[in-house]
Amino acid sequence: MKKTVDDRLAALRGSAKRLDYNARSLAALENNPRCTLRALLDASGSDKTAIATHVGHPPSFGQSSFAITRGNAFEAMVKDNGCAELLRVLRETLHLTLPEVGYEDLNDVGGDGRSKERHERTEEVLLRAARGEGDGTLFDHPMLRLLIGGHKAYLEPDLVALRIDGRFHIVEIKSFPIIDEQADSTQVRAATTQACAYIIALRDLLGRAGIGEQAVSDTIVLVAPKDFTNRPTGAFVDARKQVAALTRQLSRIERIGDLVDLLPEDLTFDLAPDAEDRPRRPAEELTEALDRVLVTYRPDCLNHCEMAFYCRSRARAEASLDVLGPVVREQFGGIDTTTMVMGLARGELTPSEDQVEMAAALRHAARLRAELEDLGGAA
Amino acid sequence: MSTLSALAHVQAMESMQAVPLTEFRHRHLSGRPLVIVPLAMAGEAGAPLAAMVGSAKRNGTLLVVAQPRNRDQRFAFAADLGRIVMDYIDSFRQDRRGEGERSRYTEAPQILVPNPGGVKALADLGRMCRFRATSGPYAVPDVVPEFGMWLTFLVDWAEQAGTSMLLPVTEMLTEHWATGQSTLEDQNLASLMAWISPPSSLSVEQAMADAENPDVCPPAGPSTSPEFDNRDLAPAIRRFDTARTLGDPHALAAAEAELRELIAGQIQPTWRMVWQAISLLRSVPEAPRTAKRFEGDCKAFTDYSDYRDSGGLPQRKRDTAIGAARRLGRLERALAEFESDMAFDDRFVLADRRSAGEAFDGTVVKAEPGRTVTTDKNRRVPRPRVTVRTEDPVRLAADTKLISPSLPTGHKATIVSVLSDRDVTQITLEITGGMGRGRVPKQGTVPEPGQRIAYLPDPGWRPAPQFPASDATPWTHSAAGAAGTDPAVPEDAAAEEWGNED
Repeated sequence: MKKTVDDRLAALRGSAKRLDYNARSLAALENNPRCTLRALLDASGSDKTAIATHVGHPPSFGQSSFAITRGNAFEAMVKDNGCAELLRVLRETLHLTLPEVGYEDLNDVGGDGRSKERHERTEEVLLRAARGEGDGTLFDHPMLRLLIGGHKAYLEPDLVALRIDGRFHIVEIKSFPIIDEQADSTQVRAATTQACAYIIALRDLLGRAGIGEQAVSDTIVLVAPKDFTNRPTGAFVDARKQVAALTRQLSRIERIGDLVDLLPEDLTFDLAPDAEDRPRRPAEELTEALDRVLVTYRPDCLNHCEMAFYCRSRARAEASLDVLGPVVREQFGGIDTTTMVMGLARGELTPSEDQVEMAAALRHAARLRAELEDLGGAA
Repeated sequence: MSTLSALAHVQAMESMQAVPLTEFRHRHLSGRPLVIVPLAMAGEAGAPLAAMVGSAKRNGTLLVVAQPRNRDQRFAFAADLGRIVMDYIDSFRQDRRGEGERSRYTEAPQILVPNPGGVKALADLGRMCRFRATSGPYAVPDVVPEFGMWLTFLVDWAEQAGTSMLLPVTEMLTEHWATGQSTLEDQNLASLMAWISPPSSLSVEQAMADAENPDVCPPAGPSTSPEFDNRDLAPAIRRFDTARTLGDPHALAAAEAELRELIAGQIQPTWRMVWQAISLLRSVPEAPRTAKRFEGDCKAFTDYSDYRDSGGLPQRKRDTAIGAARRLGRLERALAEFESDMAFDDRFVLADRRSAGEAFDGTVVKAEPGRTVTTDKNRRVPRPRVTVRTEDPVRLAADTKLISPSLPTGHKATIVSVLSDRDVTQITLEITGGMGRGRVPKQGTVPEPGQRIAYLPDPGWRPAPQFPASDATPWTHSAAGAAGTDPAVPEDAAAEEWGNED
């Protein structure tokens, strides 16, 4: 059966090259787990940017080169001289006792930077360390691997996994500041979710060799600039909840077959590119294909999903309350569109049994609104 | 959010135009506000890139940091901006009225920024500046720490509901208008203005599309658009750096001029839009109670001003336990009072509370105006009872204390009973205050049968909370090892290293 699901997913993607999950797209799973379109596009490895662009709603996620430069410079500084700065943070700020420190660079294997080779090397080194052999304490850029829906995803942590008190800890190096011991909560959350993918992958690696999951701590060490300086500081972040959430999302991907089964046989998001990679498929046809999949749009999607502008235009066209966001939406539990809200408020629609109460509140609100406007509303 | 406000958003979405949420503007709007549009560099902790500042649309000053990673240039910028802001603040430290304890300035400054991110940018700038030393190895001009302390004061004060000394204009606009888009999109000033007042030649839809296109409407900051960073800004900063390294004055001047021009192109549309928003807000009449709240601003301004004059220390990095509890108490009380003030002044806000069941409006169906009771002190006092019939979905319980915008001030009542039957609710009230001192209530202080009347909960008077002195704080609530002696100024402050020194 697995085979057919894979075939169906491949058909959805069409002729394009498969895009694998990475830590970022895995972290994004947590954001809007109920969205079927997103689940399908990710599971099939489709190119969301290309698809959104072709249907006329290109995403606008650029990353400023300043942010990238700063991120890289900070990471390099923390890891300089065998992670001297990092060790200072671990010892001074986090009060860890690290008697002797061994540093292992897993960036490439004798000049070989291929994922598979690097993963094999990582596996060998980390397993040796887990069994208490070898003298590695810090592991720079290990290459982890996770099987997601039967596909290998290589996770290339831009970070170091280290042993503290006999357990592996994921160290996440970020360039957003910790000012007066406080950091921006959205950014911390994003960093933590990303690190969760590494925790799960590392547990998977050790698990295959029969080492239990308690060997990897679910507390993350976050290293970031202190205040407005370039000096790093550190903090422990408890990631238990997010590890559990991400694990749950990953197990949902395993059940992607259930979603695929609901789709029409001939559905595909293929762009049918020509020799120069220009899509030949008519945009209307692609839009029609997308429209056959259930979408759960939330304004928050604009921050992280490539398809968001497309989904928003669709929600607007359908007069869906999703456009207004959860705060307004939750006032109208069980009602989906503005047409319905206005119909009930004006008394033009007959409410169903479970809408009676809502309809009464709406008619009351509409009456108040009419009173206000009759008396000459404000500008 | 109440059903009524939610409905306003739905109406806006259906009719494709903004819908008013209030009758009045509940924030004081100064006759001479100072607008600041701050821009920061992406990825760098609070590194200012530029700011446009001024108290009139026609004379904005553009300040630019050519290399935001350079510490000296950052503080030169902070000093320049600081001088302008401090001149503005000082211009309000002139007229003082009242004697002794009650003496205070009659006006207060008002700084307006485009969006909540602008407040955050000023908070970061304030934190960056307020501990700087004006002598020693990393000396900064005198104005820098002063400016930092004032910014921190303004940012702290802005947390309090109903205040007006520092405000994002998006917040003022969304308090008055509901749009057919989400809260997230409402934080984009251009998107918000697209709903409220689209450019004359454009529909709301077109204006919204433009608002999200960084080439038409550059972001209102503090971050600039990544495309602009990569395409224009990064090469221009590189040219500036090269010219500086080579020590070529002509190239340096040219590079600086180019940078200024690029940034002006990004910042000026927002500058104009903020002023447009301000004139829109001016057209909304100010709510009656705003003036009283503004007196609170003047008092806080005077107090801080006097504190600075007496050489007060910079605000600490983190509140102490008592400081935090005190702040929280103050914020809670201010919020309750602001909400009640708004409902009292504004029938739109009152309707909103009614829709949520937190207030009601109805007709008096029964009255016992002559009812009296004998108090514990053996005095006979009037305690009239009235029954109000309302169709509002009331969710108030017996014993709730109420106030009424429909009767003379001072009127107070307590709910005796609430009887609901389908859509109609009968509420019996006992009137407890605002009837004068006599045994018989004054004329017009007790509602009569047939009279239309509205009530809402009384936010009440709360005593100022009492806290132990700082040296008597229990060990559970004192900072580790530094109880009582914790210096407000960290000793390493002046030595903090900055940015990527190049």
